[in-house]
Amino acid sequence: MTPLIELEEITKNYGSYRALDRVSLQIEPGITSLLGPNGAGKSTLIKVLLGLLRATSGRGRLLEYQLGRHNRQIRERVGYMPEDDCYLSGLSGVESVQFAAQLSRLPGLESLRRAHEILDFCGMGQERYRTVETYSTGMRQKLRFAQALVHDPPLLILDEPTSGLDPAERETMLSRIKILARNHGKAILLCTHILPDVQAVSDAVIILAKSRVRISDRLDRLSQPTAPSLKIHVIDNPEEFAQKLERAGLKARIGALGAITVDGQHAELAVKIWQVANQANIGIRSLEPSRNSLEEIFLSAVREQPDANS
Amino acid sequence: MPIHDLGYREWHEQLASPWTRWVVIAKAGVGRAWQSSWLKRMMLFAWLPAIFFGAVFFLWEHSLTVKEMRGNLRFILPQEVSTLPGLTATLDIEDEAVARHSVWSWLLYLFLRYSQGGLMVLMVGIIAPPLISQDVRSRAFLLYFSRPLARWQYALGKLATVWFYLIMISAAPALVLYVLGVLLSPSANVVYDTWDLPLRIIAASAVLMVPTASLALCMSSMTQESRYAGFGWFAVWILGAFTYVMMTEIEMDLMNSASPAVLEKWSTVSLYHSLGQVQSWVFDISTFDQVKHAAAILATITVVSTVILFRRISAPLRA
Repeated sequence: MTPLIELEEITKNYGSYRALDRVSLQIEPGITSLLGPNGAGKSTLIKVLLGLLRATSGRGRLLEYQLGRHNRQIRERVGYMPEDDCYLSGLSGVESVQFAAQLSRLPGLESLRRAHEILDFCGMGQERYRTVETYSTGMRQKLRFAQALVHDPPLLILDEPTSGLDPAERETMLSRIKILARNHGKAILLCTHILPDVQAVSDAVIILAKSRVRISDRLDRLSQPTAPSLKIHVIDNPEEFAQKLERAGLKARIGALGAITVDGQHAELAVKIWQVANQANIGIRSLEPSRNSLEEIFLSAVREQPDANS
Repeated sequence: MPIHDLGYREWHEQLASPWTRWVVIAKAGVGRAWQSSWLKRMMLFAWLPAIFFGAVFFLWEHSLTVKEMRGNLRFILPQEVSTLPGLTATLDIEDEAVARHSVWSWLLYLFLRYSQGGLMVLMVGIIAPPLISQDVRSRAFLLYFSRPLARWQYALGKLATVWFYLIMISAAPALVLYVLGVLLSPSANVVYDTWDLPLRIIAASAVLMVPTASLALCMSSMTQESRYAGFGWFAVWILGAFTYVMMTEIEMDLMNSASPAVLEKWSTVSLYHSLGQVQSWVFDISTFDQVKHAAAILATITVVSTVILFRRISAPLRA
């Protein structure tokens, strides 16, 4: 599959501060999440991709255009939803989306029709006729999403699209993102701090920390543990069950929320675990092949020193 | 679960020209500015002087047929204006064609310099300060520049917003005055005698519009608080005019006479008087030699303001 975005050794300095340090990565079609602690360089990376900032060194390509050389063409094909509020005061919701459409060269009346169409998709009703200043956080979020989408770009960069949304709205927003990627072939770069969102929709994950790429891989590959193991949740005391497993000659350890991880091949291991549970008269709530959680992946990536570039 | 859901629809229609983006910004700016009730009142008020000057045009044209009326014309104009040496001499010209051109030039110059010039300061002080500062405060620059929009298109759109309103209070009423003068004139040669005046009106309006809009937007781009930009804008005009009045009074008191050279010299400290000087050259009332310093001041303000404006526009993106 041809990557949509390819970066080679991109470095960006602000004076003596290095915001991006030799960042190299490839982003393929689908939903890619960009993660990282505050100050990791995510916003700088987005600005470099949009051509709002010129990289100090390195080169890159977005779709078929060179970064820094074809900024206008890139911005025509990218829809950007910023994290912060950005609106023109005094305009209603539909006028704001129409304005964004016209800036992206949609002609006059057609831009108004398209603005209504997109606001329908974003689930905004009659409130679209109110001025933006009166909007709640969730409505502003939907408005920014509509503005990013109105010109039907092949690539969307969404910065914290679900922050400030209630659980139902968050679910709906994620389903919209999935619809756009799965049914309409949009490539989506999702910047978020909400890891369950990443887990719910992402195909690939990029983790930035201290200005460098720590991890860049498909989420399903990252979730696979290095050695086969099983994860168990028991109804009663997990410590007691873990001790009994150890006495039965199995390697067991207790993780977050009382989950017991036992290393070994799945089939023979499961039989042994059931035998131990039966002898100890302990009820097993769940037994499944263990996978690395995104929290674990994120924390280990942020703590680790070597990066994916090296 | 919705009963009917159209979902997302792709868009593959014809795009508009890339060169019209500044028009989109200008239209939005004009629309937002028009929401101010103060601006609506001021626009109405800005056309009132045109009624007065229309009456003067009518009386002047009438005086060409009733000769004894001509001397009375100077009593209609305010005393400070009617005693201006150039205007007094113009009112005494015998040749009808030459007199018409000179008097019309004077009337249009007075209209643009005194009534509309003052209104321009107030109107730009209402429109321009929030134009860029508000975009910076509400982070709307991300909305603009994450799209295929060049800095010059953004700046041109904002300038065009100010220019639109300045045209509505300068060139538009002055051209209406001119047309009114042509219609009220009993002479068949009126268009032949005054054909250049519409061009001079446009040029004089450009003199008014270009430096003022650049300066106002430069101030707007330098702060997130539009009130500071407004304060800076009015300070430039008030302090400049105050300095001009003080210095000319002091120097003329010392010389014990009113010298045009003193007025010309000190007009460079006042933007308002510099504009008036250059407009007087546009209407052929002064020579270029008399206004060259004022013209240089206006050109410098325009260039410096525009350079700062362009640098400031990209500043929030570099942060």
